[in-house]
Amino acid sequence: MYKVVGILCILAGCAGFGNLKVRQEKDRIRHLRAFIHIMRRIQNEISYGKHTVPEICLIIADCGENGYASYFKEIHRQMCQGNGTGLKETWKEQMEACLRELPLQAEEKEAIMNLPVFLGLQEENRQAMGLEQSVELLTRKCRQAEEAYDNRAKMIHSVSILAGLLLSILLL
Amino acid sequence: MRREDILRMFPERMRSRWQNVADLCDQVQEIRLRAGRPVTILLGKGERFVDAGGQIVDRQDCGAGITAGELDEILQHLCQYSLYAFADEIRQGFLTMQGGHRVGLAGQVILEEAGRIRNIKYIRYLNIRIAHQIKGAADSVLYFLYDKGRVRNTLLISPPGCGKTTMLRDIIRQLSDGTAYGPGMNVSVVDERSEIAGSYMGIPQNDVGTRTDVLDGCPKVEGMMMLIRSMAPQVLAVDELGSDKDIEALRMASGCGCNLLATIHGNSLKEIQNKDYMRYVIEESLFERYVVLARRSGNCVIEGIYDQEGQRCIK
Repeated sequence: MYKVVGILCILAGCAGFGNLKVRQEKDRIRHLRAFIHIMRRIQNEISYGKHTVPEICLIIADCGENGYASYFKEIHRQMCQGNGTGLKETWKEQMEACLRELPLQAEEKEAIMNLPVFLGLQEENRQAMGLEQSVELLTRKCRQAEEAYDNRAKMIHSVSILAGLLLSILLL
Repeated sequence: MRREDILRMFPERMRSRWQNVADLCDQVQEIRLRAGRPVTILLGKGERFVDAGGQIVDRQDCGAGITAGELDEILQHLCQYSLYAFADEIRQGFLTMQGGHRVGLAGQVILEEAGRIRNIKYIRYLNIRIAHQIKGAADSVLYFLYDKGRVRNTLLISPPGCGKTTMLRDIIRQLSDGTAYGPGMNVSVVDERSEIAGSYMGIPQNDVGTRTDVLDGCPKVEGMMMLIRSMAPQVLAVDELGSDKDIEALRMASGCGCNLLATIHGNSLKEIQNKDYMRYVIEESLFERYVVLARRSGNCVIEGIYDQEGQRCIK
């Protein structure tokens, strides 16, 4: 009886671990979509609105983009309080804090963190296009993740249950 | 004028060098930054230099320079790391900052095929001009500008640097708020080069009165008609007339029932009368008052106020 309960516990634990991994993958896609939306919004506000970067941060914060609003609001606050803080440092500090807990890959985080590097052009449309490389990278990663999600989810579920079975057999 | 206005123009890491200059905020007229050359400040009492530690010194050879990289950094900071948002102003060669201060730019100009300026690269010269609004500058002329509560069409004539924009700004403020000679009026300003109101992010940094609407950065000709259609002003103000198109737009505005305030570069009424595009205006008596400013012994003074016949007005 104890053995059966033990096997069930191991199976449930492994299945739960698998579910966690699948959920992380789902979250990654959700965050990627959100950041693509934010980057597109930044491009539009640059090319159409000709807003400055701090203003754009406030616009994004006011839109209440998921859990990122507070970070964008903080960038705007620091840039506008007049103490001379640079955009690169402020952006890096806030985005590091924002991305720290998110299940994004290093390359994806880097694309977001490096946004200020691409600023500095004098023409709004070209400046907006200058951010396209980062947007494309995130879009490609998101598409790959979406396409692989179903198969990957099935695989993770199967592997986790099989791993549970294997562990149970080894422990018997 | 606040010392913070000066400090705010520089990135954090450079601010220690500008503390002493900021302490002299009431005297500083210009801060000139040129790549590889000593930083120069223009005070009321003359030119001084800033050394590497931020001390203000008299001798040019004691002044320390500024690098091209530092100038780029300052420019990025002034533009809030968004050069594209200030492209139109950069093309015109100046930026308007919080507090109404202006930063003149020079570097290498890139032209479009049509010969228009596309942008300026290698910006290696910055001239930070500190705004000092002089309230009351127009007190002595206001009496002559009213006619039974109505504002007379007035042209301010002055050579560069004699305070015609300062005077225009104060006239606008007083007409807008109301004076001993008449109640407050709706004044619309076409501020083509952001010199009158010194708008920053759409908000006038200079006091231009409670009933004043400002169309910032718009060419005069288009701006005048836009404001007449949209804001129904009692008084329309523009700075620096310079072409027959400006004059034509003024005539149309006058025909719409607006009273006009304008400025023009010139040394005397006679000189203005000899300009081709001004001849008709003067013959038609479009302007009822001419205020001529001049520099005497280094001070800006009102050289004379004339009526439409060119006769000097006496109070």
